[in-house]
Amino acid sequence: MITVEHLRKDFTYYKKMTGLKGSMRNIFHRETLTKEAVRDISFSVEQGEMVGFLGPNGAGKTTTLKILSGILFPTDGKVEIDGFVPWERKNAFKKRISIVMGQKNQLWWDLPASDSFYLNKCMFEVDDGDYRDIVTELSELLDVRDLMNVQVRRLSLGERMKMEILAALIHRPDILFLDEPTIGLDLLSQQKIREFLKIYNERQNTTVIITSHYMADIEALCDRAMIINQGHLVYDGKLGEINQLFGRRKLLSVKTARPADTKKLSAYGIVREQNAAGAVLEVSQEHIQEVVTAILSSLQIEDFTVTEIPIEENIARFYQKEAVMP
Amino acid sequence: MKRYFKLTGLFAKYSLMSALEYRINFITGVTVEMGWMIIKLLYVAIIYKAGTNIGILTPNHILLFVGTYVLMTGIYMLYYGNFWAIPGMVRQGELDLYIVKPVSLQFLVTMRRLDFAYLLPNFIAGVVMIAAGWHLAGLPADFLSVAGFLFYLACGCLLTYSLFLLPYLLSFWILSVGGISDISSALWDFNNMPSYLYGKWFRRIGTYILPIFVITNFPGLFLMGELTPFACVWGAAAPLLFFALSRILWKISLKRYSSASS
Amino acid sequence: MKSERCVFLMGVEQALEYRVSFFLSMLSAVFPIVIQTTMWNYLYRHSDAAAVFGYERGEILLYSLLASIVSQLVGTGFEGEMNEDIKMGGLNKYLVRPMGYKRYLFFRFLGQKVPRVLIIAPVMAAIIVLAFLQGLPISAGRTAAFLVSLSLAIILNFSIYFCIGLFGFWLTDAGQLFGTISIVLTVISGGVFPLDIFGGAAETLVNFLPFGYTTQFPVNIINGRFGWARMGIGFAFQIGWILIFVWLGKKMWKHGIKRYAATGG
Repeated sequence: MITVEHLRKDFTYYKKMTGLKGSMRNIFHRETLTKEAVRDISFSVEQGEMVGFLGPNGAGKTTTLKILSGILFPTDGKVEIDGFVPWERKNAFKKRISIVMGQKNQLWWDLPASDSFYLNKCMFEVDDGDYRDIVTELSELLDVRDLMNVQVRRLSLGERMKMEILAALIHRPDILFLDEPTIGLDLLSQQKIREFLKIYNERQNTTVIITSHYMADIEALCDRAMIINQGHLVYDGKLGEINQLFGRRKLLSVKTARPADTKKLSAYGIVREQNAAGAVLEVSQEHIQEVVTAILSSLQIEDFTVTEIPIEENIARFYQKEAVMP
Repeated sequence: MKRYFKLTGLFAKYSLMSALEYRINFITGVTVEMGWMIIKLLYVAIIYKAGTNIGILTPNHILLFVGTYVLMTGIYMLYYGNFWAIPGMVRQGELDLYIVKPVSLQFLVTMRRLDFAYLLPNFIAGVVMIAAGWHLAGLPADFLSVAGFLFYLACGCLLTYSLFLLPYLLSFWILSVGGISDISSALWDFNNMPSYLYGKWFRRIGTYILPIFVITNFPGLFLMGELTPFACVWGAAAPLLFFALSRILWKISLKRYSSASS
Repeated sequence: MKSERCVFLMGVEQALEYRVSFFLSMLSAVFPIVIQTTMWNYLYRHSDAAAVFGYERGEILLYSLLASIVSQLVGTGFEGEMNEDIKMGGLNKYLVRPMGYKRYLFFRFLGQKVPRVLIIAPVMAAIIVLAFLQGLPISAGRTAAFLVSLSLAIILNFSIYFCIGLFGFWLTDAGQLFGTISIVLTVISGGVFPLDIFGGAAETLVNFLPFGYTTQFPVNIINGRFGWARMGIGFAFQIGWILIFVWLGKKMWKHGIKRYAATGG
């Protein structure tokens, strides 16, 4: 059980004056600037949930994750994870969590991954028997059994990531934080890792919090998404419900025999795209039936389809404004 | 405690295995280190050539002292690479994945990589010089002398670790540490010569305030029976004191890392 | 020359940017001088050192001071960065720039020197003037020769360390090695004590090796140890070694770049 209340995190940094003159002045005086990375975020997560953090670069996703795992101290706010305050960094707490960062590695580069696993076993004081069981189980699930004795530097990026994840799970954490775990991987590896996380979560009832740029990661894994923008939590709820928030609009794509007149089309809805072969209109859900009937009778339509507005598009709308949930 | 010994053993094993993957590197390391050692021997050569004593030390004693310095350098170099890497780790946020391990972070960061290419030549040459100096100077070799010598060597090791970690902790506050590493190796080099070379006040400062002289002078001085009872106690207390200091400053620095980085 | 000027100014800026580091490294240059001075003072007081080493007390102190100043002036420090550029692929961006990597390093190196020179030059001038007042025969010609040899020494040292930095192409992690290499090279360049105190054989060796021409040679000009004839030979060697190292650097760069491209950095 994770509870976060009014979390805030500021960073300070120096303003660098440009040019030689600036450098001279910098020797004696530096101006401090503050960046608010996280501003007033609150939420709670139940054991076994899989939650996705979405947001543009620099929104505060990774910072939040780092605070939850005890790496960073918050400027203000409360966090409690299974009765622990993360940044007190008690060993008992560290044994219950694990973090994987797509951009950083903990494996020994020149040695087989199994050596790094063994090191983690010793650090986390895992029993010999448990250790053997978990390595066997996970290496099979991740499909890396044959790679256990290959030096890490000889592995592909995807294989390496799988090993990183395996290393992070040696002590069977209750909570797993994943920061961009699929970044830079090919589609097949991405999918494999997603499948693994899904199965692992179901088997172990591990709480998983994941940040990703790839919508597909979140869509495949998480029922619940949190959208963070400019340090604010702007949405917290089911991923599928995001579209309904934005006025239930649909996309109507039509194929026309002859190029249609834009003016005529815009009478039925907002014209998003148009070319010689057809057009895409944005129409509100209530009117979709009348619009379709009307358009079929007045224009020469060869074919038409009605689709949802892509979820990314609505998520992007969250990024554009600072406003909290509509 | 047992776990830490086991982990140190693993680090040593893994480091050696990794190092042997790159044989050219390993051999170059050993060669360069031998060059460095010959340079240090030049100082002994100068003393022998001048044929003079330094304070109460004959050239043979000096050989023992410089041998201690060479041996200590080898041991320091065994883990020095970790100190050297701290600034980069801080800058690139690489401490993150170590912070979440249920093991002392200071231990992980400073003992993770052990460099045997640097240890080996210095260790061998140091031991040979100590043995030669010991024998030539006709110093006692009974159990108490040897045990005391080893005890102050061990104290010196702990003191080296604690004292020379301190400047690298500055890297949590400032961007470039080229200067820090310059100054700490310049300080270390004061031990190239026995402390008797320096003036009385200088020696006092270097023994009791910034106790670099304790590291390489006390084992030999103990052997010669030249340590006052007070110095005997100080030789054992200083390492503990500075180790505690390094722990405290480490924690303060880490607080900074966790508060100010992104 | 416009982009060269830019890189040069950037070097000056960088040196100032890291202020604490800058002051510390200036300070750390003082320590070896303290050790040296103390050691020589001690030895000359307690033994017949002048006869043993072939230097009077004043001469050897002057040498130690000047040598440590000159090695500060010619000293580099970009090797570690070269190693990183090679390892992390930072080299790529220089490969597509019109200004070559070496040229870039050189002008930035000069730029980074400036704050150091501004502090060191007056100190050196003061030492030389003092020595002159004590009876050191310094003429305008000698001073000019010294300045020329110093400039050549900077170029030579740059070329040597450029080659050392290029080892990064073949070694996996050369970063830490460079510190020790530079200590060793400083000593065999005569940057700590004059190597001829170890006798004729050592002196001959130093005369033929390139390293002495980065430090010991300029010092021996200004302290009046070398006559005009020896200076001439020295300059010939200095220039010869520059040509050899520039050539070597080119060769190594060519082979290294091939290797770099083959492994993808």
